[in-house]
Amino acid sequence: MFRSAVRLTCSGVRSLTRTRPQFTAPLAARGYSHGKQETDEEFDARWVTYFNKPDIDAWELRKGMNTLIGYDLVPEPKILEAALRACRRLNDLASAIRILEAVKDKSGPHKEIYPYLIQELRPTLDELGIATPEELGIDKV
Amino acid sequence: MDTSRRLGQTINSVYSPLSVKVVSVMTMSLPKPVMRGLLSKRLRFHLPIAFTLSVVAAAVFKYTVTEPRKQAYADFYKQYDAMKEFNAMKEAGIFESVRPSGE
Repeated sequence: MFRSAVRLTCSGVRSLTRTRPQFTAPLAARGYSHGKQETDEEFDARWVTYFNKPDIDAWELRKGMNTLIGYDLVPEPKILEAALRACRRLNDLASAIRILEAVKDKSGPHKEIYPYLIQELRPTLDELGIATPEELGIDKV
Repeated sequence: MDTSRRLGQTINSVYSPLSVKVVSVMTMSLPKPVMRGLLSKRLRFHLPIAFTLSVVAAAVFKYTVTEPRKQAYADFYKQYDAMKEFNAMKEAGIFESVRPSGE
């Protein structure tokens, strides 16, 4: 019984770190310790493709962001740009600003990450007219 | 950053009595920080420490609390005379089935 509980938690943790975005699995993305290990670039490309879907719906946006935030990483600027453009296609400004708050929180104690992300996203934010939480004054309680 | 350095060098070469100190400007772009594996890095550092500290805490408790307690019990019972204690209790009159020798 203990062994089955351990097996359950191990597979649960692994599937959490390796869930594929389309939620129809290409084999390399499953939680096996054998099999091809996905590179960082492949991971990023998969997520950019996910958010670049022209007819992405609101559920997929939320699911994608929540899954992405569950990983042990802060998303790359190119993934966030694709997500912000998806918000634009869905007319969802609230989610766009929430994404910025989420990545700031995801950085944790590493305070140099968020300013870097805003610097990289600045052209996209200006183009899409997205204000940062700091500009709106909602970053302080 | 390169153009500001070159500008400084040009000004220094042309206007040699003056000198222009080239400082890095705040508009210089931020370098890319590490953005992956931050939690695993933290765990790889803190979990061995946490594990070791827990084991040390357990060992300290064992040798400062439980072992002295066990020793105290052992010392008490090493010279314990059950019959002597029973007779003392009997004379104190606490039993119902056997009364003190006086009654």
